[in-house]
Amino acid sequence: MWINMGPQHPMTHGLWNLRVKVDGETIVDAEPEVGYLHRGIEKICENRTYPQIIPLADRLCYGSSLTWSHLYCMTVEDLMGVEVPERAEYIRVVTLEMQRLASHLMWLAAYAVDLGMMAGFIYSMRDREVLVDLLQSLSGSRLTYNYPRIGGVAHDLPPNWDREALRACNYIETRLKEYEDLYEGSKIFMMRNVDVGLLTKEDALDLGVTGPPLRASGVRYDMRKDRPYSVYSDLDFEVCSRPEGDCFARYRVRIDEMWESCKIIRQAIQRMPKGKWRTVAPRNAPVGTGLGRVEDPRGEGMMYVVGDGSDKPYRLKIRSPIFITVSAAPSMLVGYKMADVVAIMGGLDMCIGECDR
Amino acid sequence: MRTGRQFVRSLILGRPNTVLYPHEKLVLPQVYRGKHTLDFKKCIGCGNCLNICPNECMWLEKIEDPELGKIERPGVDLGRCLFCGFCAEVCPTVALHLTTEFELADRERESFVLSPKDIRDDAFASTFKEERQSRKLPYLDLSKCTSCEKCAEECPEMCIAMMPIEKVDKKKPEINLAKCTSCEKCITACPENALVSTEVYESYFETPEPRLLLSKCTGCSACARACPTDAIYMMEMPGSEKTLKDGKKGKPKKRAVFVFEKCVGCGRCFKACKFGAIEMPGVKK
Amino acid sequence: MNLFQFCNGIIVWLVELVNNLWYWLGDVLPWYFGDFFTGIGDFAGSHGHIVVMTIVLESLMVIIVALINVLNFIWLDRKLSGRIFDFYGPYYVGYRIGGWLQNLADGMKLFVKEIIVPAKADKLGFLLAPVIFVGSSFLILATIPLSPNFGIATNESGEFVTAGVLFAFAAFAIAPFSILLAGWSSNNKFTLIGGMRSAAQMMSYEIPLLLTVASVVLLAGSFSFVGIVDAQHDIWFAIPLFIGLVVFLVCIAAEVEVTPFDLPEAEAELVEGWTTEYSGMRFGLFMMTSYLRGYAGGALATALFLGGWQGPSLIPDEIWFLIKAYTVFVVIEWMRWSLPRVRVDQILELGWKRLLPLAVLNLLIAATFKTMGWFSG
Repeated sequence: MWINMGPQHPMTHGLWNLRVKVDGETIVDAEPEVGYLHRGIEKICENRTYPQIIPLADRLCYGSSLTWSHLYCMTVEDLMGVEVPERAEYIRVVTLEMQRLASHLMWLAAYAVDLGMMAGFIYSMRDREVLVDLLQSLSGSRLTYNYPRIGGVAHDLPPNWDREALRACNYIETRLKEYEDLYEGSKIFMMRNVDVGLLTKEDALDLGVTGPPLRASGVRYDMRKDRPYSVYSDLDFEVCSRPEGDCFARYRVRIDEMWESCKIIRQAIQRMPKGKWRTVAPRNAPVGTGLGRVEDPRGEGMMYVVGDGSDKPYRLKIRSPIFITVSAAPSMLVGYKMADVVAIMGGLDMCIGECDR
Repeated sequence: MRTGRQFVRSLILGRPNTVLYPHEKLVLPQVYRGKHTLDFKKCIGCGNCLNICPNECMWLEKIEDPELGKIERPGVDLGRCLFCGFCAEVCPTVALHLTTEFELADRERESFVLSPKDIRDDAFASTFKEERQSRKLPYLDLSKCTSCEKCAEECPEMCIAMMPIEKVDKKKPEINLAKCTSCEKCITACPENALVSTEVYESYFETPEPRLLLSKCTGCSACARACPTDAIYMMEMPGSEKTLKDGKKGKPKKRAVFVFEKCVGCGRCFKACKFGAIEMPGVKK
Repeated sequence: MNLFQFCNGIIVWLVELVNNLWYWLGDVLPWYFGDFFTGIGDFAGSHGHIVVMTIVLESLMVIIVALINVLNFIWLDRKLSGRIFDFYGPYYVGYRIGGWLQNLADGMKLFVKEIIVPAKADKLGFLLAPVIFVGSSFLILATIPLSPNFGIATNESGEFVTAGVLFAFAAFAIAPFSILLAGWSSNNKFTLIGGMRSAAQMMSYEIPLLLTVASVVLLAGSFSFVGIVDAQHDIWFAIPLFIGLVVFLVCIAAEVEVTPFDLPEAEAELVEGWTTEYSGMRFGLFMMTSYLRGYAGGALATALFLGGWQGPSLIPDEIWFLIKAYTVFVVIEWMRWSLPRVRVDQILELGWKRLLPLAVLNLLIAATFKTMGWFSG
């Protein structure tokens, strides 16, 4: 019997439909249907000048919006050949890692409440508030920051911001320790996650899965190490990876990534030089193409822009990681119970905004 | 451990983490992007905010003000606004700001359309420290300039170059603002006081520059009237007088001369010129 | 004086008052009508009628006490969950008294909502399911006394019925039937799955529950609540039968459907489970009954394991009983807000493979204690 989970559903994050074919309680087949949130962003971008697209890029994935605006600015800087001052690069790294922390905390919150533990939701959201408040005092808004610019960042860090950022890192690290104890000490959580939703290494590589699901299946591929962008080549951190490939491995990879992000933020704040934070970018783009790749909290994001000499792009193509990962869902779901759907799809961290663009 | 501490605080001491919203409110940072506020006196009505808004939610309204006369000021439609802050960032005279007011909910869409009078607040700028950086730069008043070249001699950085104006006998000083260090030597050197020290706010967006096609310029001075920053001067072209029917010499034709340092890239000259003599790539008519 | 005598007194007084009217009418009116009213007066004053009315009044009082306790439970649940989560519970409605009036506000809201019946639903089953569910849950309270003086199931002289425990647990077990009926008659795939899961869970957790109760009854030597509580005058049964208490609490949690066992109403997949198609006050009745069963479970745990109404006699017995019931409820709620949900096949595995042996072990321990003569009579 085919069951529709969604599109109207209180607990799928975002607006999408998952059709599962159920035999009793066991899943026999699955079919995700996305596209309910398509806003035509790529078409809208063809009628906007280059700076005007930055707020639109923010709204691609509202869960980790700084990643997408940075990605867009990097792509256009590649097209126009603009060089970004070093202080701006370090500020970008700090804010990107903070955004990664905030996005992973939101994932943890949603994951906990899907499994029934409302306390996990409230605690993770409360800790995310610390980071969001910091970013609010930096850029002026809590969710869609509109902070990067083509050629740098919008304005300099406010006074004492880096001290507050270090304090936030310390706080998040103590809370991470507690989350580890809370979740891994709970037998029920382990029962629901270990050996559930297996994704083998070959399947992951074949289906084009990237990000934490790929690293949880044993492939050590992280854009920040393999194709370094910005100043990541100067920073010292590790690629988190687990060989098992089940839901618990995905959970563990994300927790490890949060620890690494705190390390990166500390190093970047320490090394940040003084200087300019923005250069003036040209208004008209040369005829040519630009490509940008970034390690989104959900996978590998990529943007490709074609310039035609005017001040509007001719074409902007966005590669969303979730669009590819969600098509790997059937191979992870077949053979498990219906109650596991939530755990498995939650482990993929679906943010439908970027999936449907 | 922290959870234990938080639990005790929350349950036994009765002080949980909540902010009881209507009774207590959070203090927002100054950079928070809320409702717009406009300083009528500083705004020059250039319309840069209209051009950069991603969602086209601003328009210019003609207003009769008792002190300032006939002016054009922008209004904003908050129903369409993204609160991205670009309009405040690109304003050349820091007249438009975004305040921390966010409690803007209402029942009807029409109440979101704010006319310039609704967002007028001339005293807002005095309530906070302006974050945007400013420099003091020399701005040229071309009507007073006699092409004596004293400013170009005085400048220690060699920023000023005297460029000839086509078909007009004079030369005008062109200042390279990127190299200017605000030492103000040229301002004191000018005998006619044609160079004025003005506080200029940095706007990192590159604005489009107009180009004049001299062959089409008829000297109607529509562009000079339209320019909000007085960057266009009409100068007479000697040798272009026509002899009239009764033998007398007529008046010489005028042409438009641009002082590009003052140009903010609003595009009003481009829209005002009916003869197609001004080219501005990328701006719609 | 016990509840029966109290209510009897009230009814007798009331009947005498109203009988004045009937007898006066009987005297005043001519022969046929007069006889009619005199006959009503005689009937009203007869022994059977007074006893029936007394029992009705008693039930009404116990139901009101139960409902007020349920309101308190819901408020306590929300406040407690709020403090565990680091925020206030209900705050604004009933500002000064900590938001207690929130329940009344929610109830009023549910009353004014539109009641929608799905077009293809089985009308009789759809209407009947809440009735059976709520009715059977109130029935559990029929035999639980709050103290030797406060209970319905007594005869005239105040002796309690001798099979109270049996009746209470029998009423407890009617619920799975109504859940299946509700889930099936809503004509919805999801509610069907939810109903079946819920019925499976409830039925499989009845067995350890009843085995634990059997061990208590073994030690106490009687099926009536008064007898069980009196047998605890030396030591509460929670201490020798500690495993039994734990198994009992887990089974009550599974019966009442709190997390970790709330898969039938798992929001993540099934929206609201078997109550999805119910709207307005019908849904409110289901919610309320869920808390009522929690209260009944807490009351049962108190009576069976925690010594019922025994305590220092500063506080009246009923209040002591209620305090213990509230404590059991708090423990269950604490479990509810800190644990994730267990998957349905894991629930059944837990029930059959882990709890059943523990319950049998408990029964063995009780039998051992009994044969050693420590709990006689």
